[in-house]
Amino acid sequence: MSVSLERLLRLRQQAGLGVGMPARIAPNAAKPQPAGVTIDVLRRLLGTRGRLQTAIEPAAGMHSPDRTLSGEQILPGLFLVDRLLPWPKPCDAIVVDAKTYGPIEPSNALCFDTETTGLAGGAGTRAFMVGISEWTADGLRVRQLLTATLGAEAAMLRTLADWIEPRHVLVSYNGRCYDSPLLATRYRLARMTNPLANLPHADLLFAVRRRYRGVWENCRLGTVERRLLQVVREDDLPGSEAPAAWLRYLRGGDAINLRRVLAHNHQDVVSLMLLLGALAAPGPREGSCDESATALAR
Amino acid sequence: MSIPVHASFESSSLVPVDPRLDGQALATRLQRKYGDRITGTFLIPGSEGRYAPLPADLPPAMVAALRARGIGQLYTHQAEAWDAAQRGEHLVVVTPTASGKTLCYTLPVVAAAMQRQAKALYLFPTKALAQDQVAELLELNRAGELGIKASTFDGDTPGDARQAIRLRGDIVVSNPDMLHQAILPHHTKWAQFFENLQFVVIDEIHTYRGVFGSHVANVLRRLKRICAFYGSTPQFILCSATIGNPKQHAEALIENDVTAITQSGAPTGEKHVLLWNPPVVNVDLGLRASARSQSNRIARLAIKAKLKTLVFAQSRTMVEVLTKYLKDVFDNDPRKPARIRAYRGGYLPTERRTTEKAMRQGFIDGIVSTSALELGVDIGSLDVVILNGYPGSIAATWQRFGRAGRRQQPSLGVMVASSHALDQYVVRHPEFFLQASPEHARLHADQPLILFDHIRCAAFELPFAVGELFGPVDPAVYLEALAESAVVHREGERWEWIADSYPAQAVSLRSVADGNFVVVDRTDGRQTIVAEVDYSAAALTLYEGAIHMVQSAPYQVERLDWEGRKAYVTRTHVDYYTDAIDYTKLKVLERFDGCVAGQGDCHHGEVHVARRVSGYKKIRYYTHENIGYGPVTLPDSELHTTAVWWQLSQQVLLDAFASKQEALDGFIGAAYALHTVAALAVMADGHDLQKSVGSGDGSWFARGDSSGHARASDADGKPILPAQLAIFVPTVFLYDNFPGGIGLSEPLWRRQAELIARATALVGACDCLVGCPACVGPVLASDETSRGASPKQLALRVLERLAVP
Repeated sequence: MSVSLERLLRLRQQAGLGVGMPARIAPNAAKPQPAGVTIDVLRRLLGTRGRLQTAIEPAAGMHSPDRTLSGEQILPGLFLVDRLLPWPKPCDAIVVDAKTYGPIEPSNALCFDTETTGLAGGAGTRAFMVGISEWTADGLRVRQLLTATLGAEAAMLRTLADWIEPRHVLVSYNGRCYDSPLLATRYRLARMTNPLANLPHADLLFAVRRRYRGVWENCRLGTVERRLLQVVREDDLPGSEAPAAWLRYLRGGDAINLRRVLAHNHQDVVSLMLLLGALAAPGPREGSCDESATALAR
Repeated sequence: MSIPVHASFESSSLVPVDPRLDGQALATRLQRKYGDRITGTFLIPGSEGRYAPLPADLPPAMVAALRARGIGQLYTHQAEAWDAAQRGEHLVVVTPTASGKTLCYTLPVVAAAMQRQAKALYLFPTKALAQDQVAELLELNRAGELGIKASTFDGDTPGDARQAIRLRGDIVVSNPDMLHQAILPHHTKWAQFFENLQFVVIDEIHTYRGVFGSHVANVLRRLKRICAFYGSTPQFILCSATIGNPKQHAEALIENDVTAITQSGAPTGEKHVLLWNPPVVNVDLGLRASARSQSNRIARLAIKAKLKTLVFAQSRTMVEVLTKYLKDVFDNDPRKPARIRAYRGGYLPTERRTTEKAMRQGFIDGIVSTSALELGVDIGSLDVVILNGYPGSIAATWQRFGRAGRRQQPSLGVMVASSHALDQYVVRHPEFFLQASPEHARLHADQPLILFDHIRCAAFELPFAVGELFGPVDPAVYLEALAESAVVHREGERWEWIADSYPAQAVSLRSVADGNFVVVDRTDGRQTIVAEVDYSAAALTLYEGAIHMVQSAPYQVERLDWEGRKAYVTRTHVDYYTDAIDYTKLKVLERFDGCVAGQGDCHHGEVHVARRVSGYKKIRYYTHENIGYGPVTLPDSELHTTAVWWQLSQQVLLDAFASKQEALDGFIGAAYALHTVAALAVMADGHDLQKSVGSGDGSWFARGDSSGHARASDADGKPILPAQLAIFVPTVFLYDNFPGGIGLSEPLWRRQAELIARATALVGACDCLVGCPACVGPVLASDETSRGASPKQLALRVLERLAVP
């Protein structure tokens, strides 16, 4: 035997051998110090990785003079845009999909749409804007809430909750899979009761798909507007650019695109209400309802 | 020698009792017949069971369920676990395979679920183990009509089942990757679950070490943070195979005090262990018979003696070859059910389930496996375990031997050495093997880049309040770095996530690439999937022309659709198998920083590591002669990563060494020692950090071959003599084995002088004569008697020249 076992074991203890070899050292003794990680050390480490993976975009210090938002600041950081479109309310209950929703009384329909920080999903995606539209005696009322700060989110959620009543039927476009779960997550994170939780919800995307899949090139809301509602948007900011617009404003940049997001969101909830009318199942008053809806859209 | 053995066979056949041997009898027989091949024998004595009554506070329905399944009392360690759990302590149970570890957590978890609607999360390292666990829970549930809902939650869980599991599951059985990527980022959907989460059970914690362990420790920090949000503080029950530091490792993982339960009360039969060195077949060349031939022979003897036998092989190909040889003997009648099965990663889950079940039911007499059976997959009892080659660590060796001896009868474990230097060292020095304690598991949760990744994920899950800690760490600088890249935004006292990304998607806990290949059998117009091969193994096993074996049935790869991740095969009948020829080359892409290191220098930078399969060999069954080559054209598997490296100039080396060969031998030894001390310095697992010796410009590389000496090869993998190397600047590289680097090599560069000093001390103070696995790597017997400069001296010459004078 060429090695003294005792020596070997002792040396192993000293050396604390890696894979394949036994070690009896106390790893705590050799535990690397976590302290001393400064932002410079971290930047260097990340810089190394940045070169290998994706370059990290430097944060721009933006201070734009054009920071005006439309609407009224109703709570710190929370803006409300409240508009009334003096259009006549449809007369009869609307039947979109009798099996699922039954007839919807127009004055109970609450169309809603959120603008969010992205499509990634999960707890890190937030809604920075929510718009609703509903019929009132004087016409179609569109209300939009916009948060200008992160902290205003709780106020936005609370205000929205105040607007929602048990009589409401939610109307959305892909809201079942997107807006509604996202708001549920935000209410959960804010430790508030989710006001949408137990309301009936008519997601018009499903109805549109049932009727027009394979008929139209796709079932996007823009396509619906063009082919069914004869609505054409002007200077519309694509929904995909909304997160960047808000982020820009949040970090001190200009509000130009954020105002366009407001306009975009406004049109979304208006179109939703028109679509609800347009999708009404054939019935005695179908012609007139449809007509009024398309007429209004023009 | 053969005569007395004959006699013993005959005498045993005359005794009119059960002809079935046990492990002890087989050990004795092997020792008598092959005494000259056995370099060491150990006997691990058996022990009586120690029992405790079922706890008085166990719900009556559970008592009934346990009794219905034949459990009327507990082993002492199970009772201890119950008591510790009832006291509210975190605990780790470290007892051998088949000692009833599962009950240690099932009892407190199920009792709490019945008594107070407590929820539990189980984490297993693999899906298969998770499925076993759920099957077992469901059986217990049925036996006592306990009304407990247990389900797996992993990538295979259908979408419509997920909602029900989130809302109503009492016990959710998943894995750390799923927790990291699917559960925590969507925690709001799991609100009810987290509000009532009282137990987190983590089995096989010894697998969570090194970089993987550091990731998992951070996932647990995130889990605790989410639980705190929902007002719960779960209790952790951990289990581990034998490692050197179970309590400490458990505490490093969950960052809390942990009660360790290490004394098993389960009875064990005695275990005989033999170390086996294949006989020398060519005295002139010192060539030994292959480990394969010996494992095959021992397995045959064991199976003929009606002993349930498991053979562990080191590669998937070797599993298939050994399976074929055993099938040729035992499964030559196709009308009878198979007695021999193979078990390895790459088989379809259903195939593996079938094999596991057949094993449990005792239909299978011999099974050949990779390390896939090292973990706690339930395959019932075994009598003999044969290791075809040393698994590389003491802990893995015992873990594998632990598969034998479930029936309180004598069992047998045989470790058959391959020709690798490490194997040879172990069989030459049995004491090294027997008396060494199992390896320590290490992790370093605060490694900055890993921490950065998880703070990023955590910020996505919940905003950070200023001053809030992440585990014990103040995340402020990490959050500032995230804010610089517009990922989080600080407003007032909170850091909030603002980016449009899902960070957990970009962070993989394991360094495995995605994208399994499916193997499609096109024989006779079939289009059926016969196997699934993970990305890392695809280039080595699915090249066109490869013989791909499933349960030793050969299929030939006709077309490989690399992009589509498919290999099309047809059933074939050939007398050979194929073996890929691959080599790895490393090239420096960019040097970030450098400094003087003694008479040489040390650098830190970015490197490109490419592994290329250049061709394959056809190897005939049984004779193992090479009967042909085939070309392979596949993309290199590439890794861009960071590295630290040391080099010495040609002049310094020529002054110090008699030849370039000696200098290279010195570098190989120095690299071994540096790798050892470096892995410890950054708490990495050996696999996390890789070593390489080469020229730095990619023109040549050197590897220690099975003789323990350096073999150089050029950039195309062709052998080259060191003397022919015109530009001779050998370089030792240590690189992060992770795409993009994981931050191991940067601190190594800053600590380079210390590492050289520690490596020098390691080698210099080692008590071996010429070198050993504890310092410069295993050496051959010939080195131990050679008069030239020893591997140890050569390595020291290199290290001393890199040391600060």
